[in-house]
Amino acid sequence: MIQVDGITKKYGDRIAVNDVTFTVNRGEILGFLGQNGAGKTTTMKILTGYMPATAGKAKIAGFDVFESPLEVKSRIGYLPETPPVYPELLVDEYLSFIAELRGVPKADREKKKANAVELCNLGDVRYRLIGNLSKGYRQRVGLAQAILHEPEVLVLDEPTVGLDPKQVSEIRKLIKSMAGSRTIIYSTHILTEVAATCDRILVIEKGKLVAQEALNEFGATGEVVKTEIVMNKSSDKAMAAVQKVPGVKNVRRVEDGAHRFIVETEAREDLLAEVARAVVESGAGLVRMAPVALALEEYYLNLISGRISA
Amino acid sequence: MNSKVGALVKREVRSYYWSPLAYVLMGVFLFLMGSIFTKFIILYQQYNFQQSMGSGPSVTLDKLANYFYQNMAFVLCFIAPFVTMRLYAEEKRQSTMELLLTAPISSTSIVLSKYISAMLLIFSVVALTMLYVFFLVLWGNPDLQVILSTYIGLLLMLSTYMAVGALISAFTSSQAIAAIFTFLTVLLLWLFQSFGQGMTATTGPIEWGPLMIYLSPLSHFTSFSNGLVQVKDVVYFVSFTAVALFLTHQVVESHRWK
Repeated sequence: MIQVDGITKKYGDRIAVNDVTFTVNRGEILGFLGQNGAGKTTTMKILTGYMPATAGKAKIAGFDVFESPLEVKSRIGYLPETPPVYPELLVDEYLSFIAELRGVPKADREKKKANAVELCNLGDVRYRLIGNLSKGYRQRVGLAQAILHEPEVLVLDEPTVGLDPKQVSEIRKLIKSMAGSRTIIYSTHILTEVAATCDRILVIEKGKLVAQEALNEFGATGEVVKTEIVMNKSSDKAMAAVQKVPGVKNVRRVEDGAHRFIVETEAREDLLAEVARAVVESGAGLVRMAPVALALEEYYLNLISGRISA
Repeated sequence: MNSKVGALVKREVRSYYWSPLAYVLMGVFLFLMGSIFTKFIILYQQYNFQQSMGSGPSVTLDKLANYFYQNMAFVLCFIAPFVTMRLYAEEKRQSTMELLLTAPISSTSIVLSKYISAMLLIFSVVALTMLYVFFLVLWGNPDLQVILSTYIGLLLMLSTYMAVGALISAFTSSQAIAAIFTFLTVLLLWLFQSFGQGMTATTGPIEWGPLMIYLSPLSHFTSFSNGLVQVKDVVYFVSFTAVALFLTHQVVESHRWK
């Protein structure tokens, strides 16, 4: 659906994006990670046809972004970093304007507007001036603008910035609900967000693509899942039992005196059930089993500090 | 494409009339024109009185109307920049330009819609002066054909102002800068008329004096306000507008190859 081939963008001497290549398949949600200023926004601006690349090609649904911009633009919904809203319009007027601008047929306009209002939870503010809305609402108006015409491809530049935790989780749910029917590229620097919503991540650092990883069903990269196991008795017997479960890769004790260890397994849920059974049967008194949630963060931090190379 | 230009124009006009600027501009314009109109009536009465006493210059109503519209054309040099300053500058500042440039519309549609909106807005201001025409008819016997040609001249002159203002607004994200530079440009062009009059300098085949007079909208507007609709003047205004709109299009497009 999206093919990016060797894109480079220079601003004068400064290279903002350096030879980035990736593809996104239809229906996939791609998390685009990177620190501020790493080149995420620039890449997205190139994809949406807002600015050209200095070198390289980008195609969306088979159309070259630079050569057939109108074909590409009619297939994209884009939420830029700053929601592109007119403060002097009512939310409803704004969405009507967007529908006309996007060429939504007159007969469908009201339906699509209503749909976007509902999905983005804007019912309460539909007839208010955008200029009087809070940051969170404006962000959602921006999102409504991006999804209104039901585009095949959604490009969202930090869609959850400025939202409160409840709104963040609503937006995540919304994005997740579109998986399969839309192809989504979604930039952020919040890792838990990526773990919760994306199928795959791209990590960009100083304009260069440093990693491309599929996320497993635990929201972590790679084939290994780390789970922490806490017991109320000595852990030796339990550790030995767990080690025997097929599919367990590594077991290591947490050196802080408590009865705890971390088990690394293949990324399969049934495997965890077996590990749990092994612990219980060893009589060690299972207290808690929890995924090591920091797996992705650890991976990411290692990556950008250069300790591992992808 | 047409419905999209329509949507853009509707949005532009809606935003403009939402802001207090629209009403302040109308108020200022009407105040200035009202003062000038009043002065013009007093003058007319004085001349009439002097003439009935057998002295003083002969002044017709039409001559004074001409004087009034020349003044209006000058006052519009000050009003025009405030109409055009926000066209592009504001879109850039609030990053809605990104929305327009990533929507499935051509740069031509954007440029056209901005120009059409500006023309609608400035003409809604000028249309208020129809009130004075009404008074003239009620109270004297003006040459309505001359007044019609004057309004055609105003429309054409404003078309160049709007196009120049749009061009300057496309360069900046600051409304204030757009307004100042538009005002300077429009005023300078206006003054070319008087600059050119005493000028005898030539560079090769170019005679600077007549060239400057030709470039000034004032010289072309004067024919219209004298009741003359001439092709050469229409060509001047239309080509001026076309060049400015073409350049604006290039500026808007430039983000694609920068």
